[in-house]
Amino acid sequence: MNALEISRITKCFGDFYAVKNLSFCIPAGTIYGLLGPNGAGKTTTIRMVMNIIIPDQGSIKVLQRTIDEEMKENIGYLPEDRGLYPKMKVGELLIFLAELKGLSGQEARAQIDRWLKRFDLFDWKMKKVEELSRGMQQKVQFIATVVHEPELIILDEPFSGLDPVNTKLLKDIMLEMKAAGKTIIFSTHRMEQVEMICDNICLIDRAEKVLEGNLNQIKQQYGKNTILLDYEGDAAFIKSFEEISKIDDYGRYMEIKLKEQVDPQLLLNRVVGHIRVNKFEVREPTLNAIFIEKVGVRDEENSVSH
Amino acid sequence: MKKILSVIKREYIQIVRTKGFIIGTILGPVFMLALIVVPVALQFVAVDQQEKIGVIDETGEIFMGLDEKLDQRLKDGTRRYLLVNFEAAGPVDELKQELNNKVLAKELNAYIHIPEDISSGGEAEYVAEHVSDFNKRGNIGSALSSIVIGKRLRGEGLDPAKISEFMRPVGLATKKVTTRGVEKDTGGTFILSYVLVLILYMTLIFYGQIILRGVIEEKTSRMVEIVLSSMRPFQLMAGKIVGIAAVGFTQYAIWAIFGLAATRYSKGLITRAFPAAAGFEMPSIPSYIFIYFVLFFIGGYFLYATMYAAIGSMVNSEKEAQNLVMPVTMFLIIPILLMMFIIRNPNSTLSVILSVIPFFSPILMLLRICVLLPPFIQIAASMLLLGLTTLFMIWITAKIYRVGILMYGKRPHFAEIVKWIRYR
Repeated sequence: MNALEISRITKCFGDFYAVKNLSFCIPAGTIYGLLGPNGAGKTTTIRMVMNIIIPDQGSIKVLQRTIDEEMKENIGYLPEDRGLYPKMKVGELLIFLAELKGLSGQEARAQIDRWLKRFDLFDWKMKKVEELSRGMQQKVQFIATVVHEPELIILDEPFSGLDPVNTKLLKDIMLEMKAAGKTIIFSTHRMEQVEMICDNICLIDRAEKVLEGNLNQIKQQYGKNTILLDYEGDAAFIKSFEEISKIDDYGRYMEIKLKEQVDPQLLLNRVVGHIRVNKFEVREPTLNAIFIEKVGVRDEENSVSH
Repeated sequence: MKKILSVIKREYIQIVRTKGFIIGTILGPVFMLALIVVPVALQFVAVDQQEKIGVIDETGEIFMGLDEKLDQRLKDGTRRYLLVNFEAAGPVDELKQELNNKVLAKELNAYIHIPEDISSGGEAEYVAEHVSDFNKRGNIGSALSSIVIGKRLRGEGLDPAKISEFMRPVGLATKKVTTRGVEKDTGGTFILSYVLVLILYMTLIFYGQIILRGVIEEKTSRMVEIVLSSMRPFQLMAGKIVGIAAVGFTQYAIWAIFGLAATRYSKGLITRAFPAAAGFEMPSIPSYIFIYFVLFFIGGYFLYATMYAAIGSMVNSEKEAQNLVMPVTMFLIIPILLMMFIIRNPNSTLSVILSVIPFFSPILMLLRICVLLPPFIQIAASMLLLGLTTLFMIWITAKIYRVGILMYGKRPHFAEIVKWIRYR
């Protein structure tokens, strides 16, 4: 069963295409990464799923039903541009938002207390939102997103502004929800997070889909000709090797893409003795590399055609 | 609908709870009452000190009469003015010098010099340390005049009592003729109507600003998209506008209770405190004026509230909003500037036209109703136009609002807003 089915949606603002002929499906009980550079059309897509803006063409089905206002009670949405009424008390605000999702005051209160305790915010219930730190407000926003136990949860950059401890807590909760059969759409620019969490991804660039599918399959398609090199010393000389098609140097860590049919052992033989190799791994490319390749190539194509 | 109710509840509680609302609601009527009562009350505050006034009567015939005439009493029944006769043994100027010194030494509060030729055009003098109490000067002046005039009349062989009867001024009672008959109008109705119109004007601006600020806050705090994940933009806007209308009605209700209590009990209080004000009548306002007031408040409120909401959704800060708010506020100020014209010419063609124009009608038609009840057809026409315009504004604002509220950054120009309205 698909939790979300988007087929051929298009949205224009004037003569600007925000989303163009986009289709993808999300199987229920999975975590789906919705990726793309800034301004690619992710937020517009999510807003159309939320029925906040209406597509010019195409259809969206959430939990097998065409979207309408009632569907919103089955969806939790944490927008990227998010905030809270600064003058309201945390408890009151959460009850207000839970009521908007169709919960009664009593149901909401029990759920809210449970979540506040889990996020270590229970003592802040009677405090005004403006007295909370940014990280705390993030957690309150997350509670508001899931308090009504939605079937579909959309999280747009949920980890921004969270410390490692809270990031882990949030990630654990996401995995719990997946285990409970909920579907999560996860949108972020942090590819390593997507790599660790997501089952499937869709990469959008300039209003159009450029890559979609199961994360493992996508990586396999790119083949095992990527080398991750963890090193010490001056490795600048590697860049002049002819066998290398692409290189991404971080100073102590290098991601190297070899040309087709090149044996990785060749590279290993050449570098040994020049630098200290801590780790040499042959694998499929990172999602980060795929992202840059896909989006970067399109950029070049575009600049040529202009 | 349940969601709109939640929004209404939130808006209402958040505003009613603020210190600004509580202070404004309670202090508003207190302040207005003080503005009306204090000057009136001060006029009636009795001086409770007897004043000793010297009299130099060169004619020798006026002192007795003056002493009889100036018989104003203090609260405890003693005379307000105690007159002491001084006779000039030598030159009058010497005596005057002596009395000047007595006044400075506070032995006398003042003295009056009546020259010998007072009947034939001479001028009396009132000398005191301070001469700004026009009430006292009036008492003394009119007493002196009536004595001297009486003397003159008797000199010609006429009877002062008869003459003053002949000279009695003609009364000019003002009455208002309406379809329900002739009513007495003391002018108070008019003043209170004026106050009602001003209250309407001020609350329209005040609540419009609250809505403006509310929408901008929702936008700048980035709350709006979270709320929109549960409801339509229109529901949010409607809830906000209705919630704040409820705040307005709460405020009016509290003021109305104040007002009713004031008309019910204030007369007794005023009369007890200041017996002199016993004749003071609390003006009455016909109940239809209140009904129209509420109707025009509702119409005007929704018209202006939607405009303020639209502006709030277009901008990023209150500062940015000021330029856009100006024309809207002008729509409210223009009728206030036209008020005096309408009051003087309530039925002129221009007045009729102006009071039917939707943006002006809440204030101007209410004003006309207060001054002179216009034909019902005109009232109905202005209400119909107001209603239709309001519906149109709500429709167009809803379209601007749903796009604007999610737009950050540069303020849109007119062409862009037209584009927003066209979006699906």
